[in-house]
Order: sequence, then C-alpha cells, then structure tokens
Amino acid sequence: MDDQMQKKVNDSNPQDNLPNKNNLFKRIVAFLVNGFRKIGQRLQHNVQKSYFVFKDGSIGTKLSHIIMGFGNIKNKQIIKGLMYFMIQVAFFLFMFTSPLVNSTPLGIKALGNFITLGTEEGDIFNPTDNSMLMLLFGVLTIGIIVMFLFAYSSNIKSAYKSDILKRTGKKLPSFKEDVLELFDGRFHVLMLTPAIIGITVFTILPTIFMILIAFTNFDSLHPAGLVLFDWVGLDNFKAIFGGTGEIAVRFWPVLGWTLVWAFFATFTNYIGGILLALLINKKQIKFKKLWRTIFILTIALPQFISLLAMRNLLSEYGPLNTMLVNSGIIEAPIKFLGNALNPTTARITVILINIWVGVPYTMLMTSGILMNIPTDLYEAAMIDGANKRQVFINITVPYILFITTPYLITSFIGNITSFNIIYLLTAGGPTVPGYIAGSTDLLVTWLYKLTIDQAEYNIGSVIAIFTFIITASATLLTYRRSKAYKEEDAFQ
Amino acid sequence: MIYLQRKGENYMLKKKLVLLLMIVVGAFTLAGCQNKSPLTIWVGSESQAFYAEKMVEYVTLYNSTHSEPFPYDIVVKAVDSASAAATFLDDTDAGADIFTIPHDNLGKLITGSSSIAPITKQALLDQIASDNPAMFINVTKGVVGGTEYTFGVPYVAQSLVLYYNKQYITPTQAQTWEGILEAAVAANKQALSLTGSDGFNNSFLLLAREAETKATTLQLYVDANLENNYARGDDTIAKLKWGQRFFNHPNGARMPSDSGWEIELKNEISLSLIGGAWNFKAAQAALGSNLAITILPSFTLTEADAYGTIAAGTVFQSGSFTDAKMFVMKKTSDKLAYLEDIIMYLSSKEVQEESYVAAANLPAYKNAITEFEAMQLDNLETQLAIAQINMFEHGIPQPFGANSRFNVYYYQKGAPDLIVEILRNTNNAFSTDSAIMAQMVIVERVWKTGLKE
Repeated sequence: MDDQMQKKVNDSNPQDNLPNKNNLFKRIVAFLVNGFRKIGQRLQHNVQKSYFVFKDGSIGTKLSHIIMGFGNIKNKQIIKGLMYFMIQVAFFLFMFTSPLVNSTPLGIKALGNFITLGTEEGDIFNPTDNSMLMLLFGVLTIGIIVMFLFAYSSNIKSAYKSDILKRTGKKLPSFKEDVLELFDGRFHVLMLTPAIIGITVFTILPTIFMILIAFTNFDSLHPAGLVLFDWVGLDNFKAIFGGTGEIAVRFWPVLGWTLVWAFFATFTNYIGGILLALLINKKQIKFKKLWRTIFILTIALPQFISLLAMRNLLSEYGPLNTMLVNSGIIEAPIKFLGNALNPTTARITVILINIWVGVPYTMLMTSGILMNIPTDLYEAAMIDGANKRQVFINITVPYILFITTPYLITSFIGNITSFNIIYLLTAGGPTVPGYIAGSTDLLVTWLYKLTIDQAEYNIGSVIAIFTFIITASATLLTYRRSKAYKEEDAFQ
Repeated sequence: MIYLQRKGENYMLKKKLVLLLMIVVGAFTLAGCQNKSPLTIWVGSESQAFYAEKMVEYVTLYNSTHSEPFPYDIVVKAVDSASAAATFLDDTDAGADIFTIPHDNLGKLITGSSSIAPITKQALLDQIASDNPAMFINVTKGVVGGTEYTFGVPYVAQSLVLYYNKQYITPTQAQTWEGILEAAVAANKQALSLTGSDGFNNSFLLLAREAETKATTLQLYVDANLENNYARGDDTIAKLKWGQRFFNHPNGARMPSDSGWEIELKNEISLSLIGGAWNFKAAQAALGSNLAITILPSFTLTEADAYGTIAAGTVFQSGSFTDAKMFVMKKTSDKLAYLEDIIMYLSSKEVQEESYVAAANLPAYKNAITEFEAMQLDNLETQLAIAQINMFEHGIPQPFGANSRFNVYYYQKGAPDLIVEILRNTNNAFSTDSAIMAQMVIVERVWKTGLKE
C-alpha cells in the first residue's frame, strides 16, 4: 500500500488507527461536540421557524404570541382557545402569586430562592428558610416553566395551523372533532402525555434535584429548615480526590471492592448456572424436573429470608460453627461474616453465599435456552463429523452467549447496586476503624449509611452520581459491543 | 361491515383505556384529600398502649372540665425514641406534635432556629424543677440565638446495669469484675457480653471513676464546649490497659458476635451482660429464673495496669451514661396551645408511677424509690429500677444535647472503633503505653473535630 493510499484510508476512518484509549476519548469528545452542534442547529432552526410563523401568520396568530389562544378564538375555535388562555392565566397566577407550600413559595419567588437557597436564618419563634424545599421548588418551577413553554409553542402552532387550513379553504376542526381525534389519529398523544408528565415529575425532576444536592453543603450539620445550606460548587467532588475525610479515604477502596464484587458475583453465578443447567440437561441425568424444582426453591423463598437464615447458620455460635467445634474439626468458632478477623474471609463468604442465592436464576434461564436450541444444528454438526467438544464450543456456547449477554450486563449492573446481600449478611463489616464504610460495603450500602444513618446527603449524592456514571458507562459500552446488539436478527 | 365493527371495537378499547386512566388519576386525587389532622404523639413501642390509654383518660378529663370538647382526635404512635429525632427531622411537617427523645438528641433538634418549641407555661416549668434530679433538669435546657430555654420534660430515666447468671455468679462476686472473672474461669465460660461496641456501651470503662474519690480526668464536652474534651489522663490510659487485659483473657469479656448477646447468655457462652432496661425482657427470656440484676461492678488495677500517677491497687467503679427521656413539642404545630397541658399530664408523678407498673419505664421522678408503692416490691423489675437509680451516682448524662456536632463527633466519626482497637489489641498493636496514648490522641481529636487527622 503506497503512502497516498494509506493517507486515504486514514482520512476515511481515522479513529480505526488510533490506540483504543484515544479512540474512546475521541469518540466521547466527538459525541459531545456533535450533541452541542445539533442542539445549536435545532435552536437556530426553531428561531427561524418561529420568525417565519410570526411573519406569515394572521393577526390572530401574531396576537397568540402575547395572549395564548387568541388565534383559535378568532377562528371560532372558542373552547380550544379558552383552554390555552386558561393555561396562560394559571401559569401567570402561579408565577406571580407564588403560592406557599409548607411556608416556602413556588413560582417566581422560587426562582430567586433557587439561587440563594434561603436568606432568613430564623430564631426560636420564627422558622428558618427551608433550603431543601427551596431547591426542590426551584427545580419544580423550572419544570413547570418548561411545560408551559411546550403549551405556548403548541398554542402558536395551533393558531398557525388554523390559518393554513383557512387559507386553503379547508374546514377548521371543532372542539368535538379535536377531542375525537385524540381517540383516533392522535391517540398516542393522549396516552403518552400522562406517562411523560409522570416521568418528568417522578423521575426527571427528582434526579435533577438529587444531582443538584451534590453541589451543596446539605449534610448533618445543615438540617433542612433549621440551618441554611448553600451552593459549594465542586467541593464535594474535590473531596474524593484529596483530604483526610471519609469520602477521600474510603471512596476508592469501596469502589474497587464494588467492582471486584460485581465481577465475581456476576460470573460465578453465570458460569455456575450454565454448568448446572448443562449437567441437569444431560441425557444420563434422571428426574430432571425434580432437580430443577429443588434449585428453584431458593427463588421461591423471599431472598431476605434465605440470607438471614444463612447469616444465622454461619454466625459465630450458629449451627455450622457449633457442629465444627463439637466434632473437633476446629477449636474455636470461625468468624465468617461482619465480624470476621480478616476482610477477605467475609468477602469470600458473601460471594459464596451469593452463588447459592443466584445460581438457580441462571440455571433456570439457561435450561430454557438449552431446551430450545434447534436440534437440526446438532444433527448437521454430527453429520459433518464434529465431536462433542466442538459441538459444545461452536453451537451451544455461542447460542447461550448470544441470548444471555443482555442478562449478563444487567446482572453486572444489578450486582454493582446490590444492596440486600451485603447489608443483610455483613452490614458492611468488618469495620474499618474510624470510618463508616466497612470492608464489604458496596457503593450503595455506603450510600445508605451516609444518607439514612448519617444524613450526609451531599456526599451521598456524589456517590450516587458516580454509581450512575459507572453503571451507565458499563451498560452502554458492553451492550453496544455485544453480538446481541450488533447482530440483532442473527438467531431469528 | 367488518371494518366498521373493528373500528367500533377499537374505539371502545380506547375509551376503556382513557376511563382507566381517569380512575387512576381520580384515585390519586382522592388520596391527596385530607381531613382535619389529628394531634399526634410518638412514644416508644413498649409504652404505646399505655400512653394511648392515658390519652383517652386525658380527653375524658378535659371534656369534663371544659365547656367545649377536646377539639382534636389524638393518635399515639409507636416510634422508637432513639430514632424519633432523626425521623422527625426528615420531615418536620409530617412529624408528631409531641414526641419523646433521649435527652442527648436535644442538640440536633435545636440546631439553628430549633425545630421544637420551648416550654413557656410556668406551671410546667415549676413541675420540671420540683420533680426531677438536678442532672436531668440541666439536660432539658438548650441555647438558641444566645438565650437559654427549657425544651424537654423528663418522664423516663435509664442507665446501664449488670444482668448476670446467678447460677454461676454469686451476689458477692457480682460486685467486682474480678469476682465475675473468677466465676467465669471456674465454669470455663466467658465473663461478659456486650450488646454493642459503640460509644454508649464502652461507657462502663471510659466513664469509670476512682471508687474512693469519684475522681476522673476524662472530659466530654464540658460546659458544652468542643474544646473541652480530654482522653489522655493517666487514669484513662490505666483503665484501658485493664480493659485490654479483661477483653483478652480467655474467660474475660467478649466483643459482640453476630450470633447476638441473647444466644451468648442463653447458651451460657458468657455469664453476664451490660445492658439497659430495654434489654430486660430479652435477658429474662435468655436466663429465666437464673437472671439477677445489680449495678455495674468495680475493678482493681494490677501492676500491669498501673500508669503514671495511677498506682496498682486503685479501685475503679464502672460508670454509665445515665439518661432521661423527654417529651418535646413540634415548634410549628398548629395545636401548640394544647400541648403543654398534655405533657404536664403525661409527665406527672402519678402517670410516671403507672407507667412504671404498666410498661416497666423507670420514672425520672426524683423521689420515686421512696414514694412509689410499686418500687417497694421484691421482684426483678424493682431490682432493675433500683440498680438503675443507684447507677445514677456513678454516671453522667450524655453531654451531647447542647450541640448536634457533639453527638455526631462522639458516636459517628469512628472514635468508638478506635477504642475497640485498643481493647482488642490485635497483633499486639496496642501492647505499649505509647501506642495506647497515640490512639487516644486521635480519639480526642475526633471528639473535638470529627476528623482523625
């Protein structure tokens, strides 16, 4: 290949020739740049379009920019126009009367409070501004403004649409026809609107609220409604990378153990489940249903009961230790779990218990897959002279892997955020003297302790953000590279 | 025709979906509707039935002495006192109008502008002053905005005591840790179990005082000042050296196991337990008729424990945090006008005595031991009450009520674990005086700043 050709190849696909790390970094940067560029283009397009609509629209459409619903009312779509108008009135009432909820204002005052997070320190007879509610109501008010802007945009579109229909001599739909249209052509809008509102109110706004807390000093020394808290920029994030506090000292060890745990918890269950399913699926094994039922019993029991039973079984004076001591195998009880003398003992124990709890799930799923592998594939392979090992490696394994890859990914993510097993078995112990996070604490159990027990909401929020970044990145990267994603139709 | 029929079915299905949606929205709306809120009182689960009954009596009494009936329904809920303050602070608007807290939780409730209301009714202030020992009166007070107010009304007292197995330990042996150890060696059991290794349970050692002089150099937030902490005195180091030996003796004390102290007592793995009144029923269930109760024992230093000015042979009496539980009122309650009268009734001497009989709550009332008939009986409940009252002489109220930082720094920033490390002495890491001293320097720093470095 001459130099010119090489250059051409490089130019056509430059990322392919970079080392992986740089490649990934470049792709992330390119993704962000493209994202912002698209947003810019979209904004520019919308501004141009709005200007065109304003210029091209009738007087009704023009006035709809100031008084919502005017265009519809002018075109005799009275109810529709009045509904838009009512939305505008309600919005302005909401914004300018700033209604109080738990003594904290919403509306335009909430926007001011969102910036200051409160100024009134209060005294024994008067309450302190509730910074937490001010933050929450600020987010809520911004959410309501965004929703109003959608309604505002819809109002202008509706007015302009009426203009167009009128100009083309078509009949304008009555209110009844609009409503009936919602049950027919626009049924998706009717059904999706509550879902979108629900997601906004119950998922997006709380998530934004949680993220914003990471940029404040909302902790046990600043209880909401008693002491004001304030914006602190990136201080809570910086705390991870320096200093002598809990988060600086314990974050990286806890993160490390979380990833180790997730890896072993996922793959031991995965491999164990597959092996068990293969074993049970063997022709020589009798009473297959009985064996499956026995393993599935652990699923039938609520997991926390299984875990508590296991904890008691392995406790210092539990049945296992008593049996071992009484039979002379050991002299003194072994501390397996939260009070183990060595963190490794506790870590290995929880991974082993997790196998016991988790393997039946994989076994059950893999059994289903094995039973559904087309037999003609095996027959064809046998005719071609493949031995059992080759059949297993070239047919069974790829088939299982293809179908279970999404499960493997969700399982890995699930284990990163696995709470029950660690909290119920060891409560994070053995303790690391002087710190809240123990040797088996995962990010989520640590997060629980920091927020529920210690009221350190700001630090908890930082950890939650990191957990989200890790899980989201792991999911996206692995899933997009999996065959299950790339060759979606392969096994259909 | 078929097309029209299908279209009709489709339309009906959509209508049903919309109807379902409207029902869901309607249900949520109805769930949001509220009647006039009741007056809510939170007390510990062990006392919920008793105080619910008392409030019925209170309302009857109120209605018979007022022209208008009591204007609110009253709900008495069981909320663990230890976590009530935290639960309340999670959402003060949803919190109870009256609730009970251990006195050391006062600090977190009066942080900033305070979430609880000060007591202003003179009759109630007089009752607090006349019915309670001085140490409990002090812990009801707190400073907000530079002014001191009384915020709580004590109604229950508590301290740590010794539960022991009288089948193995005689009453004389139970007076000293050496006696208990002797019994444990004879039976080849362990001397002592703990219910936890936290800063409350280690108070039996940390707060121990010289038996003769009642002196100690240990300082914990004296005068409600963060700087006034001291954990490096000769007596403190000597006590820890003794404690280290006690916990490392094959038949000595043991740190809590994941089997639980109930199993340890029941299976006779250990012969005694340091616990509070809240452990009484479980201890009784574990030991049955072998249960006996007394004050925490004393211990004598040996040559191995002597340190600095503290010589071998010095006798220390084990200490305890001696606490009061108090009624407090929500500052933003819209029923504030009625709350002080209710608290006055619930904390009265008569109701405290009834509470002792019905729910085994040790009265905070200062003359309970002589004036309450129920305390003259010869039973385990009386032994428990008397042991606790006698422990008041050897203990101090938890000095963390003045400021929320005190509680956080003392309990939650790892200092108790650092003390446990000394007592465990794993790999002989704390077998020298200097190592213990170095660790206590860190403990002291944590108490002052919440930081180890």
